[in-house]
Amino acid sequence: MNQNLDQIKNNYSTKINSISTDIELEQLRIEIFGRNGLINDLFSKIKDIPNIEKKQYGTDLNQLKTELEQKLKDKLNYVETHHDTSLPPKEIYNLRSTIYQLPKVGHLHPVTQTERQLNEVFRKLGFSVYDSPEIVTDEFNFERLNVPKDHPARDMQDSIYIKEPEYLLRTQTSTIESYLLKAKAGDLPTRAAFPGSVFRNEKVNRSNHFVFHQYQAVVVDKGITMKDLIGTMDLMFKTLYGNDVVVRYRCKYYPEVEPGVGPDMQCFNCHGVGCPLCKYAGWIEMGGSGMIHPKVLQAAGIDTKVWSGFAFGMGLDRWTMAQKNIKDIRTLMGGNLAYKPNEL
Amino acid sequence: MKLIYSELKKFFPNLDVKPQQLRDDLTMIGHFTNFFEEINDEIVFDLDIKVNRGDCLGYYGLAKDLAVLYNVPFKNLSVETFCKTSLPTLPIQITTDNVKRVMSAKISNLKNSTSPQWLKTFLKCHGANSINTLVDLTNYIMFLYGIPSHAFDIKKSGENLIWEMNSKFKEFTSLDGSKLKLDNKILMINNPDKALSLSFWGGEACAIDLDTIETIIELAVYDRATVRQNSRQLQAITEASVRLEKDIDPELIPIAFNHLCNLILENCGGQINSQLFDYYPQKINLPQIEFNLNQPSQFAGIDIPTDFVFDCLTRLGCVVSPTIYDLRSTIYTITPPTTRKDITQMEDLVEEVVRFWGYNKIPTNQPITFKEVADITPPEIYLIDSLKDKLIQLGYDEVLTWPLVTTPVDPKNVITTQNSINSEAIYLRQSLIPSLTQQLDQYTRFKLPNPQFFEIGKIFFQEGDKYIEKNALGIYNFDSKKLQLDIEQLNLPLVKEGMREIGFFAEIILDNLPNPKKYIPQQTQNNAYELTSQIITLDANITLDKEEEPLSLIKKYSNIIGTQLLWEITIADVYHDTKTNKYRYTFRVSYFNTDDKTAKELHLKSFGLK
Repeated sequence: MNQNLDQIKNNYSTKINSISTDIELEQLRIEIFGRNGLINDLFSKIKDIPNIEKKQYGTDLNQLKTELEQKLKDKLNYVETHHDTSLPPKEIYNLRSTIYQLPKVGHLHPVTQTERQLNEVFRKLGFSVYDSPEIVTDEFNFERLNVPKDHPARDMQDSIYIKEPEYLLRTQTSTIESYLLKAKAGDLPTRAAFPGSVFRNEKVNRSNHFVFHQYQAVVVDKGITMKDLIGTMDLMFKTLYGNDVVVRYRCKYYPEVEPGVGPDMQCFNCHGVGCPLCKYAGWIEMGGSGMIHPKVLQAAGIDTKVWSGFAFGMGLDRWTMAQKNIKDIRTLMGGNLAYKPNEL
Repeated sequence: MKLIYSELKKFFPNLDVKPQQLRDDLTMIGHFTNFFEEINDEIVFDLDIKVNRGDCLGYYGLAKDLAVLYNVPFKNLSVETFCKTSLPTLPIQITTDNVKRVMSAKISNLKNSTSPQWLKTFLKCHGANSINTLVDLTNYIMFLYGIPSHAFDIKKSGENLIWEMNSKFKEFTSLDGSKLKLDNKILMINNPDKALSLSFWGGEACAIDLDTIETIIELAVYDRATVRQNSRQLQAITEASVRLEKDIDPELIPIAFNHLCNLILENCGGQINSQLFDYYPQKINLPQIEFNLNQPSQFAGIDIPTDFVFDCLTRLGCVVSPTIYDLRSTIYTITPPTTRKDITQMEDLVEEVVRFWGYNKIPTNQPITFKEVADITPPEIYLIDSLKDKLIQLGYDEVLTWPLVTTPVDPKNVITTQNSINSEAIYLRQSLIPSLTQQLDQYTRFKLPNPQFFEIGKIFFQEGDKYIEKNALGIYNFDSKKLQLDIEQLNLPLVKEGMREIGFFAEIILDNLPNPKKYIPQQTQNNAYELTSQIITLDANITLDKEEEPLSLIKKYSNIIGTQLLWEITIADVYHDTKTNKYRYTFRVSYFNTDDKTAKELHLKSFGLK
């Protein structure tokens, strides 16, 4: 046997002999036979051996491998039959679970799961998935959405400014709509959906966060109607909540749409009777929507005599929290959200 | 906004609608009503009024809407008041353009007192405290018409009231004793010596009390942006400021003013002792909107009869005039009522008609149908999706962390927020690794075994005056060797990495990767075919004078052969004859569901060999 390999064999034989517990034995087994262990390392060095010696080196290495395997096996038999009963049995089970561990399963964040669910619905209807910057100008966040300076609607959203009054973090996914309409004004029709993070100047606590997630969908085409809007929104709610969901659509104000439509879902807790969850209204507000305001289309240079469109948006965090039974919104962002390692 | 049912019914005494129905109806036409409750034997509704419906911050506007909905006559509660022209004029001055209209009069020989019970109950239902009859009546009118009104005790204020942008007073004490610092951007009502009142909040210096015997009452509408700015600047939000920063109809002031005068004379006695002061320099310009009565149907996607549209607009108080004198024409010129400042264009009229026709009559089971339009999904989104899929297959969990952080990685190019109320997190993150480190700490606190997780999110930094943001992938694995192997599988260039005592972090910027389009998934037709005969494979050699791109040649001959019989086409060999400097391409083509003869004929014809 190659002198070097012979020395390795002697070293590891001594180590195996000196071991008295199955835990140490398992650790040594990983050291020798693990993916990044001794044997693999030695095999990877074959390429550096001169051709004339390669065959002999390979034979010796296989011999080393077989001998060390046998020694470990013998030692394991010995340890198992002569194991130290003073050791707590737990340790043994730990060793077994290490050996027979189920493969770890990764998980998407619940917000991503919801986004994907919705993306799938909208892709089937011919929508692209779109995004835009998170640091935006006042023009794209407000002005192009028919919210001029000093408009009371600005109070609906407390902005986080980077450089007041010009640069801020986007407060709504409608901002992405501004970018989309600008980009596609000369190339219509268009359909796009956009999940995105949005920011408000809120104190972080159990119920509020300065960053949360919204989902928005926009269509610009010829002859788009409120019937298209309401039917599409209803499809989305049925996808998320099931076919039995009861949603009503009512008149609601948003500056970027006219007519505006507000979807309310019948409270799943009280079924419309009224309870603390729905603030005794029997209904839960689910977001906002409407026909895109002509001023918004015109701001992008779109001819409103030819084109019309709809837009709707909704928050994802509350829905996700309800679905996963999460009580504290902070859990969703860098909190104590975790997944069982083997749960599919 | 609170709404007392019995008070509302004064505008249409014959209305018979149950509270539950009224709540739902108000909500459906745009005035979201949370609930109704009983306070002092009164049924009180709790409404959210839309930002653009300042007129509905009073009973008058809401009642106008309900009169249209229920198609019942609307009863005006106000009566004409006479201010004799023989009486002296008030020495009021208005020195700012921010005043749109002021109506005012002096009432003398009053006998003020504590309020009657009906007035106390009304205010209680609205969450307001009763002060005395005179003050409470001004508040009553505000709730009724949505226009704030104010009464000055002449003994304290004098008659020389000045509406002005403040230039000389440093401090103002409000009716509740709050002391506010003033500057010259504040719209005020003063006399030459004293700061008396803000536009939206009365002052202590001229407060009405039980000894008041002479008062100047006023109703005013201001430039709403100025009121809004003042309210924000002074951090003072009052029932009056909420209303005055909306679009209020100055034409409604005489109706509300007359009503107030009558109520004061009725409840406090006295007589009007001045001419009516009415400052109204610029009457409002009403829009003229060309409107086709078919437009609501076109917008809604359902049939709404033109008779209904015409009737609805008329009941709303619009002037509906034919644009052309043709009885068959459905095109009209619409002039909205002055109260409806929110109606300025065709789409606004459409909303009016559809909400009274009923949003609930629009079907919910007809979504937009599929249409093939250009896919504008950025390649990065496909990349991110595919990375997330790969990472969860490798056993990583996705986390989301705060984009705002407490400590910058590189203070030189960090982007700082200006007004974040979360003082502990004011910097936009420059790397995902610190955030993931915090996530790891959190998991360690919970003793979570063997964590391995990732985040894909934006990182931010500043270059000169430009704000840069990039998509980044951050990964952590407790087993550093496994992480290295996993990153190799992702086949992406690693830019940052860091070891912790246990485990390993890595960060990869996802923007500007070479050939990003490769991440766009290929669309397949997913067609399946029933094979009815053996596949026939034939070769063809063609010789070209110059070398050509093989894939282009494959596409070219695929098009020539057509899809009906073509199964597959490949170039099996390319030979360069150096003597003739020509290139020979050997095509191998498979045909399906055809016979030998047909396949051969098509093959020879397609390659020009026949």
